[in-house]
Amino acid sequence: MAAPLVLVLLAAVTVRAALYRSSLAAFISERVEVASPLNAWKRVVEGLALLDLGVSPYSGAVFHETPLMIYLFHFLIEYAELVFMITDVLTAIALYLAIQDFNKVVFKKQKLLIELDKYAPDVAELIRTPMEMHYIPLKVALFYLLNPYTVLSCVAKSTCAINNTVIAFFILATIKGSAFLSAVFLALATYQSLYPLTLFAPALLYLLQRQFIPIKPKSKSFWLYTVQYAALYLCSLVVIICLSFFLLNSWDFIPSVYGFILSVPDLTPNIGLFWYFFAEMFEHFSLFFVCVFQINVFFYTIPLAIKLKEHPVFFMFVQITIISIFKSYPTVGDIALYMAFLPVWSHLYRFLRNIFILSCVLVVCSFLFPVLWHLWIYAGSANSNFYYAITLTFNVGQILLISDYFYAFLRREYYLTHGLHLTRQDGTEAMLVLK
Amino acid sequence: MAAALLAGCWFRAAAAALFLGCYRAALASGVQDQAEQFFRSGHTNNWAVLVCTSRFWFNYRHVANTLSVYRSVKRLGIPDSHIVLMLADDMACNPRNPKPATVFSHKNMELNVYGDDVEVDYRSYEVTVENFLRVLTGRIPPSTPRSKRLLSDDRSNILIYMTGHGGNGFLKFQDSEEITNVELADAFEQMWQKRRYNELLFIIDTCQGASMYERFYSPNIMALASSQVGEDSLSHQPDLGIGVHLMDRYTFYVLEFLEEIHPASQTNMNDLFQVCPKSLCVSTPGHRTDLFQRDPQSVLITDFFGSVRKVEITTEAISLDRDLAGFESKLPKDELATEPLKYAEQLPVAQIIHQKPKQKDWHPPGGFILGLWALIIMVFFRTYGIKHMKHIF
Repeated sequence: MAAPLVLVLLAAVTVRAALYRSSLAAFISERVEVASPLNAWKRVVEGLALLDLGVSPYSGAVFHETPLMIYLFHFLIEYAELVFMITDVLTAIALYLAIQDFNKVVFKKQKLLIELDKYAPDVAELIRTPMEMHYIPLKVALFYLLNPYTVLSCVAKSTCAINNTVIAFFILATIKGSAFLSAVFLALATYQSLYPLTLFAPALLYLLQRQFIPIKPKSKSFWLYTVQYAALYLCSLVVIICLSFFLLNSWDFIPSVYGFILSVPDLTPNIGLFWYFFAEMFEHFSLFFVCVFQINVFFYTIPLAIKLKEHPVFFMFVQITIISIFKSYPTVGDIALYMAFLPVWSHLYRFLRNIFILSCVLVVCSFLFPVLWHLWIYAGSANSNFYYAITLTFNVGQILLISDYFYAFLRREYYLTHGLHLTRQDGTEAMLVLK
Repeated sequence: MAAALLAGCWFRAAAAALFLGCYRAALASGVQDQAEQFFRSGHTNNWAVLVCTSRFWFNYRHVANTLSVYRSVKRLGIPDSHIVLMLADDMACNPRNPKPATVFSHKNMELNVYGDDVEVDYRSYEVTVENFLRVLTGRIPPSTPRSKRLLSDDRSNILIYMTGHGGNGFLKFQDSEEITNVELADAFEQMWQKRRYNELLFIIDTCQGASMYERFYSPNIMALASSQVGEDSLSHQPDLGIGVHLMDRYTFYVLEFLEEIHPASQTNMNDLFQVCPKSLCVSTPGHRTDLFQRDPQSVLITDFFGSVRKVEITTEAISLDRDLAGFESKLPKDELATEPLKYAEQLPVAQIIHQKPKQKDWHPPGGFILGLWALIIMVFFRTYGIKHMKHIF
């Protein structure tokens, strides 16, 4: 499988290099859908320039990257394009290896459940075979690398790519079963953009499952492991934050990075939901609504953990999607990450109900974003409502996507244990409904 | 008749003798003083900047206000070349005007203030805060025609009349932007520093108009407003035929007052302050004279509203030679006393150009690098085991 992967990598690198050399690079890096105040390349350059002039890059509201990023780019700023191409390649390789391992785990589990007779007799067509699962890792790498969103994000040199790499390594470490590495990478991801905190739950569930520890509140080993993992995670987070203090000898980065993410002061339009609301809101309500919007991101973790405790990797996928929809400054780079996982659930295709509509919605909205932006900002014949309408539709499409996959997944699980032809008590055919 | 003529002759002779006597008595100082007074104080030309800031048909009265002041000012002698008239909308040729090409100030169509020879300099969308401030300060692009410029000098008396919708501290332009009292005060200060006026009379007819002159701080400005802060200026009366209110009360009574003035009137500013008392105007007009050097009693209406040339006829010869010599000898000394500032001394360009800022590159502190790499190595070995160390060493 290495050769096709290398080919895919080469193709991706060529596409990116070609786009870097073309005139589109400058145009793309200005687009608000691709570069947000958190991860725009312009701001990184500005912050490093400020540092060279002897001023803290966190003074003023221009630079919102973490000190580790300052350190990374201080030495690599001339090779920026190469760095971003390498991060995309690394993400793809990490996802490839992770999904390869995951498929093995899935297949093993499936075999176990078949031998234990947990499946109903007529679900032969739902059982996954190694043949169909063979190409999934390659498809995942392909989906990530050649996704137009990823390419755009890479050409714009948005640091979202680095965030994606860290999350991909975290997923790889989790699936390989190394709690220590998983905690370290999760700490790095949280350190960079705060929201991956919610990925703690699925990672914990996966590692518990891997260690065959039952997830019961009464079980002592459950709590022991949880506390161990949490301690690893928190310690690494604290160590990284303290290390960042020593870069500039100040705690300035905490309000600039985390305060900025949580309090959403910059209302430049992007593909998210925050900017329009807060642009219109009265001052005395903004604190309340900031809290509501931020809680919305973290809120789905516990219910999903309860529902999906047997399927932590799917839970991780849903969680990543929720983060990229509801985070305060989403960009297309975040979307690219969860879209890379879609081939893993391709066996759910027969249960997806809205796939045509939502793929149309997503594609059309992606094309309408620059159109409505031009009409609003340059032609002056539209206004922010138009752009926000497209943002809303796009996010509704994404939410529809994830809820569709969620429903399809649960439906398949139900069919596996209860048989494909469901009947009610009186013998007539029954429909499965998600309540 | 002859007796009268004789008496007149005798009277004239006696007056001449008296005058001669006075002249001799006063010696060098008398007429020289007066002559110097004649040349030193007062203004030599008049300008008017008349601004109407509102558009739309229902703001007919603001255009009528401005046109009535325009009419008075022109009638009293200020030529169109010295008037900058800014009207934000065209009421005379508005499709809703039942009497096209007219703008009336009073119902029953008594007075058409539009007339036959109106010259509007800034019309419709050209009336903006930016253009107004550029006219006042003179920072105008070179392509602007003369009729759109305020070419005043330090001997100009300028009348500035503004009307429209306003509030506490601002005046609304075209329903889309505002000029604040601070901006206006700063514009006047710029005019003073560039010596663009000798004396300035500022009249404003808007709601809470007094707030617009509160911030003035330049000398030689007198200001009048139609209402105090917190009060609204009210309109006079509607004409049922035209369908809108025709004028505002304050300007209506000012127009009535100005109709009585002719170029030789000796009416002074105190009379203007009495125009439109609260009983007629409902709002309380206000004025501000603390920045003005002369006593309002001695300021003629025609100093601002008319273009009255100061002409004094004297039959005596006034010797200017001594004064001229004295003037000439005074001047070079004054100039030498103040050193001319060379451009290079004001702004040390040479220093700035040839000195590059010292580039101090930032390096991450050693402790940080050490800590980071130690952590990375620890993680690596924790994951992969110590046995890999033998591959390195």
